[in-house]
Amino acid sequence: MCSSGPAAGRSKGDLMQKGFDQLSYYEMLDIRPDAAPFEVRHAYNAALQIYQPGALASYSFFSEEERQEILSLLETAYRTLISDQARKEYDEELIRRGELDVRTETPLSPRKAASCFEISRAPVVKSFNNNTPDYRDRIRQSERISAILTKGELSGADLKQIRTELGVAVEQIAEETKIRRDHLLNMEEDRVARLPATVFLKGFVKSYLKCLCVEPVEELSARYMDTVSRHAPS
Amino acid sequence: MAHLWPIGGGKGGSGKSFLTSSLGRLSAELGKKTLVIDLDLGSANLHTLVGVPYPQKGLSDYIRKKIQRLEDAVVETPQSNLFLISGAHDNFDIANLPYEQKIKTLRAITKLKYERILLDLGAGTSFNTLDFFLISQNGIFITTPEPTSVENVYRLIRAIYFRRIRYCFTATQFKALEKETDREFGNGAMNKPIYMMKMIAKTDSEKYRQLQDEFGAYRFKLVINQVRKHDNTSLGLQMSRMMERHLGLHVEFAGNVSYDDHVHDAICQQVCFLERYPYTKTAGDLREVGRQVAQDAGKQLIFHYV
Repeated sequence: MCSSGPAAGRSKGDLMQKGFDQLSYYEMLDIRPDAAPFEVRHAYNAALQIYQPGALASYSFFSEEERQEILSLLETAYRTLISDQARKEYDEELIRRGELDVRTETPLSPRKAASCFEISRAPVVKSFNNNTPDYRDRIRQSERISAILTKGELSGADLKQIRTELGVAVEQIAEETKIRRDHLLNMEEDRVARLPATVFLKGFVKSYLKCLCVEPVEELSARYMDTVSRHAPS
Repeated sequence: MAHLWPIGGGKGGSGKSFLTSSLGRLSAELGKKTLVIDLDLGSANLHTLVGVPYPQKGLSDYIRKKIQRLEDAVVETPQSNLFLISGAHDNFDIANLPYEQKIKTLRAITKLKYERILLDLGAGTSFNTLDFFLISQNGIFITTPEPTSVENVYRLIRAIYFRRIRYCFTATQFKALEKETDREFGNGAMNKPIYMMKMIAKTDSEKYRQLQDEFGAYRFKLVINQVRKHDNTSLGLQMSRMMERHLGLHVEFAGNVSYDDHVHDAICQQVCFLERYPYTKTAGDLREVGRQVAQDAGKQLIFHYV
């Protein structure tokens, strides 16, 4: 069962015949000579579960001294195999004694967790940088935008014009503000019946304006809400 | 040739008779002609568990020669295909079965014409129990996850080990071997199978090889009974690893059987647990153990050493 291949291919009878203190460290921990460090740690924990004082599995099996001896052997085995340097020296000693075959060193490539889904976590749309002086200049210099901003009304169509004037896609706003694209489109197309509740709409339009860096946000959003409520069927 | 499964466990109350009756019933339900024999001499109660509260005849009739052939001591049970040799109504001195009678009984058991035979053994490590256990390579150990029970099952396994070694030698040879082991490895070493085997390896390599093969061929099974919710479920695997490592014995873990108060209820009402509560977790566990046990029946060792 657990002993899937005792270290150097000895039969189980021989293992018993040797006595615990004569086993190699690999045999003590019941692992293969090419076990990775995490396997060594795991095997040591499993062995402790069996041999530590108070463990049910070995209750009454050993005398107190025998148990202490086994535990200290296990600890030495663990300390040796978990340290790269000590393990290398120990392996060389085993090879000298002919208990371990020389194996070609294959550098252990650190194993990475396999990904089960090919999900790209990068934003689907290119985010845009609205923090550059260049961008702010564009807002200031655009005559169309100033024309819209000086009007007494601010409709969805106006918002759309500002956005297209600045060359920003709806998807980019959706990505930045985390507002669903269909909400944004409903706002821009002035589909009053499909707009979200007023509280949400107020927040959405503020985020929209902030995202485009059109100022003053408070005043413009109030103007937009005013316009929408006037268009709404009473 | 019948498949023989002795069931032993060292400590009393660990569920030997319950497991025997349950496995017997499961086997009978599969259409196998199954016999359960109560060898818990002196404190028999398998008959109660298989629904025969007042068996008309039993093992003691055979031992006292009231019945000539062992197969005539068999009684039927309410379950079809399931038969019983009861140990009820024994003499008070049956617990101390003389050697010749024991050998005679063992031989008779191996000649019975059944597909499967399950032996319910007594607690403790008396020679009776050990010899009945060694009748087959497929013995089943049962223990509960408690130190007392674990201690006794280890004790039983070691006793069986020694008993097997003992059969290889004459009484004087064995005495000498014990003495030699003690001298070589220090005080108390003769109580440790490893040291004794080491000694044999030194003095008699042929016998050593023979014993090594013998022990290597055993296909013992281990069942952990009465496992409560918070118990360590890997205890069976750990014990099996211990015995493989330190005794060189292959003891395969056959499964945990959950603790269930319904077992107590069923026994008190004298009805079969598997019949009354077939959909409990415990019943499912028992079916799984039954599958495990039947799967790897192995070769039958018919005590050629006696």
